[in-house]
Amino acid sequence: MTVTTTPPRGDVAAPTRAAGTGRPRRGPASWWRGGGLHSLVFLLPLLVIFGVFSWFPIVRAVIMSVQETNLVTDPTFVGLDNFRHVLADPLLWKAVQNTLYFAFLALLFGYPVPLVAAVLMREVRRARGLYSALAYLPVVVPPVVAVLLWKFFYKGGPTGVFNTVLGWVGLGPYPWLQDASWAMPSLVLAATWAGAGGTVIIYLAALTSVPAELYDAAEVDGAGLWRKIWHVTLPQLRGVLFITLILQVIGTAQVFLEPYLFTGGGPNNATVTVLLLIYRYAFQNSLGGDYGAATALSLMLAAVLAVFSVLYFRLTRSWSTS
Amino acid sequence: MTLSPTDRPRPAPTARRRPAADDGDRGALSAPDWRRPAVRWGMGGTHVLLLVLLVVVGLGPMLLLAKYAVTPTQDILRTPMALFPHGVAWENLERAWNDVQISRYFMNTVWLALGSWASQIVVATTGGYALSVLRPRYGRVVQALVLSTMFVPAVVLLVPLYLTILDPPLLGRSLVDSFWAVWLPAGASAFNVLLVQRFFDNLPREVFEAARVDGAGPYRLFWSVVLPMSKPILGVVSVFAVIAAWKDFLWPLLVLKDPAIQPLSVRLPAIEASTDLGVFLASLAIATVLPVAMFLVFQRLFLRGAGLGGAVKG
Amino acid sequence: MKSTRKPAALVLVGALTTGALAACSGGSDPQDESTNSAGQVTLSVVSLLPGSTEEAVAAFEDQVAEFEKANPDIDVQPEEYEWKATTFAAQLAGGTLPDVFEIPFTDAQGLVENGQLADMDAQFRALPYADQFNPTILEAGTGADGHVYAIPAKNAYPVALHYNRALFESAGLDPDQPPTTWEEVREDAKKIADANPGVAGFATMTQNNTGGWQLTAQTVARGGRTVETDADQKATATLDNAGTKEALQFLHDLRWEDESMGGNFLLDWGSINQEFAAGQVGMFTSGSDIYTSLVQTNAVDPDTYGLAPIPLSDTPEAATLTGGTLAGVPANVDDGVKDAAMKWIDFFYLNKLVDEDRAVADAETLAKNDQPVGTPVLPMFSKEQYEQNQEWIADYVNVPLDQMTAFTDAMFDLPLAGEPSQKTQEVYALLDPVVQAVLTDENADIDALLADANTQAQALLDQG
Repeated sequence: MTVTTTPPRGDVAAPTRAAGTGRPRRGPASWWRGGGLHSLVFLLPLLVIFGVFSWFPIVRAVIMSVQETNLVTDPTFVGLDNFRHVLADPLLWKAVQNTLYFAFLALLFGYPVPLVAAVLMREVRRARGLYSALAYLPVVVPPVVAVLLWKFFYKGGPTGVFNTVLGWVGLGPYPWLQDASWAMPSLVLAATWAGAGGTVIIYLAALTSVPAELYDAAEVDGAGLWRKIWHVTLPQLRGVLFITLILQVIGTAQVFLEPYLFTGGGPNNATVTVLLLIYRYAFQNSLGGDYGAATALSLMLAAVLAVFSVLYFRLTRSWSTS
Repeated sequence: MTLSPTDRPRPAPTARRRPAADDGDRGALSAPDWRRPAVRWGMGGTHVLLLVLLVVVGLGPMLLLAKYAVTPTQDILRTPMALFPHGVAWENLERAWNDVQISRYFMNTVWLALGSWASQIVVATTGGYALSVLRPRYGRVVQALVLSTMFVPAVVLLVPLYLTILDPPLLGRSLVDSFWAVWLPAGASAFNVLLVQRFFDNLPREVFEAARVDGAGPYRLFWSVVLPMSKPILGVVSVFAVIAAWKDFLWPLLVLKDPAIQPLSVRLPAIEASTDLGVFLASLAIATVLPVAMFLVFQRLFLRGAGLGGAVKG
Repeated sequence: MKSTRKPAALVLVGALTTGALAACSGGSDPQDESTNSAGQVTLSVVSLLPGSTEEAVAAFEDQVAEFEKANPDIDVQPEEYEWKATTFAAQLAGGTLPDVFEIPFTDAQGLVENGQLADMDAQFRALPYADQFNPTILEAGTGADGHVYAIPAKNAYPVALHYNRALFESAGLDPDQPPTTWEEVREDAKKIADANPGVAGFATMTQNNTGGWQLTAQTVARGGRTVETDADQKATATLDNAGTKEALQFLHDLRWEDESMGGNFLLDWGSINQEFAAGQVGMFTSGSDIYTSLVQTNAVDPDTYGLAPIPLSDTPEAATLTGGTLAGVPANVDDGVKDAAMKWIDFFYLNKLVDEDRAVADAETLAKNDQPVGTPVLPMFSKEQYEQNQEWIADYVNVPLDQMTAFTDAMFDLPLAGEPSQKTQEVYALLDPVVQAVLTDENADIDALLADANTQAQALLDQG
């Protein structure tokens, strides 16, 4: 990896020298010679992209949340009116409930199943690749295709796909998406199908790195299968389990695709989630959106999620350094 | 939103897992355990059951989709589980390909993924290099600002970012209906920058010094030394970038209104109500075939990427 | 390795950032679309719904070619388009609407008030037939200043009952005797559903504001009104009127007592058309002109299509809800584009209604490409003019008019009522979940749902 050609600038080693002297020299000229420009050139894409597409919009979100603006008339300062308006919307509490319900069901369906599957698959001795591939296959299907396909499977009435199959064993027909109490579990079921494979593979990767010596030691102590899983496997997975848990919470709090495409929030608002509500505030009224209310609600959601993000960050930091 | 939990260099887990797949490989059950009939039959039976379940759940829906792709619409509607009572409708596929023009939307999806990938790689490598290797004084401020965006969920950006795309600074024209509207914001991924920066942090400093002594400037150092050493992390970032772009729905839905440049994820729902059901399901099938084929060919890469995803992201 | 000087760096970064901020906060200057120096105008126009058939596209392209030949200085760029309440705002804000776009009657006033439609008065008045329009239809696109902003273009229609003749026959019903009362609708729906498992005898829209729209139509047909406006334009929400309650109770009874509404209760304008064309719906209510799009996008079998007036209750207030589509032009275009837009509106939508040569040429193009000619709509001008037009194109009419006689025989005698004029789409949006609740929850409390929606609607109307 030796580089023999002469560099365009003779003084590129300056940073090292400067670091060696402890204090950088002062003055624009020395900044230039010290490679300050190069740093800036390399940082430029980051600064521009983050500046325009991340930092500025975040600041703008805060500003817009205290303005009334619909892109048509000039924005006016309204203080906390947007927050008050959103908090007074009866649909907000419905949306919060629905989102929590989605998160709860997603944990109920999506948390234990991949864990059990992964622990079992870890013991497979032949063709484990086949198991992994089959489990992962749904993840490869483009999510929108998965939703549209399941929407068709869920067709109500006796001629729906699922209802036909269940009809063979004398069950149903069930309403699936067409009933306020069935709709949300149906959404979560489809989302779990589309996502569980990824979680299985993550657990499987974590399981592979459980040191064999731990099992050996447990066996020396006379531990049976269940005790080995309980005392060796699960504790070893703790870190990964925590991470997937928190990421799932953060992800499900922002669920949009499924309610938007499956039900549009129906029936009777049973699947309106917080993000769908934000979308509706901003984009649904055909005469112009209420962008102030939309950003106010998204900031409130962000405040809640920031708690989880910090928790996650601390956990993973301590976990990965331990 | 994605967060980086890792302070470790990335190659370590992969390197550690690879040998584990060989003879040292064991789960909770030991070889002696397996010789016990109860375990053998119990676990063996469970595994067969698991396999059957996986086939039904993982493969079943896709086989059904393949069947519907060539089933006449009226049969799909009336007898969804009957096996071709009125023959096979190959014309569904032909109409999906020609009338619905699935191939065009497929290519749009590919372009979106490639551009987002390029944008993320450029920002992450140049930014990571500046922050990790060149280390300007203000680097820490920049890093803190980048880091802070990880605590802001994507939803906050939805509306203000949309308005920024409508009227971007300095450009003077809306980016709506242009691939740039998706490509450029994709580059603002704090997760990638930190991932790459941490990787660079762990590269041996001596190599940089040696290169500098040999007279390499910062550009040559970046291009000829740092980048070649970063293939593993670039691979990880690439996998995440492409998968994220592939799955994206809400953002392209907002900014790509022109059907000519929409990806599959936006186009398919738009034509759902105006396309014959058989043809529509054939379109879904075609949209699924390529990723599935790619997966089957590059299975190892996908699964390793997904496993890694757990270690870094989820 | 800290070689850079902090102040200098900060200044630079600061300059970059403030530059970006300044540029961003520059406001949303409209991008002016203009004619280029050679006088060539590029005009984007609404073409067809997404997913239209090849024949429909071919017919449209023929019309574009004819227009460009007559107007060599205008370059027409067709864009597929479907007006949906839930997507229109983003297109409007995003500046992605075509130069000539279509909006429903209900939205024109709001868009005019917001200054989002170009003032087309001068161009419109120059039309030779400008003074012949049916005044009530023209009013929909006229602003408070008396200027015409949006031009009655694509259609004006009463809501009607569409039915599937094949399903009628399968249930032993006479397809030439469509129901004329809601009670008959219910009986026929039950028979159709019983004879065809999984098929809805009667279905209704529920999503993207169309649930509220059709509930309003079914309310008006029973003599109710969802919003009352007094002489001072003060609007009072009356969602809990007897007609709406009756309409919802009707849906409830079909759904839960007869189980004759099939298994899909999340339908909007497009998806109910799709279900109907696929033979999954026996009857539903929608604008009288949807046959055209049933052919263009859903490839419906013409033999199965039947059209009848929406049944009216036996009260003097019972009426048929009307609606229609206007053509609008974005506010930020220059006069060159406005002139070109008016030429296109004249060519594509209007002139064929009043000019014999154009009528025949247009019908010929459509018929040649197997596109529907002669779908019944409300007269944009006078009844006499409409009948005159029908004579001109008689040779090309290819829609099954004899399957629409129940409607066409009655259409000029129907009592008509316009849609509510204030916050129309927002009130429709409030009614969507009500309709969904009745269809998906057997114990839905209709009175409570309507009382709740009424309070919210009144709050919207009071905002002004």
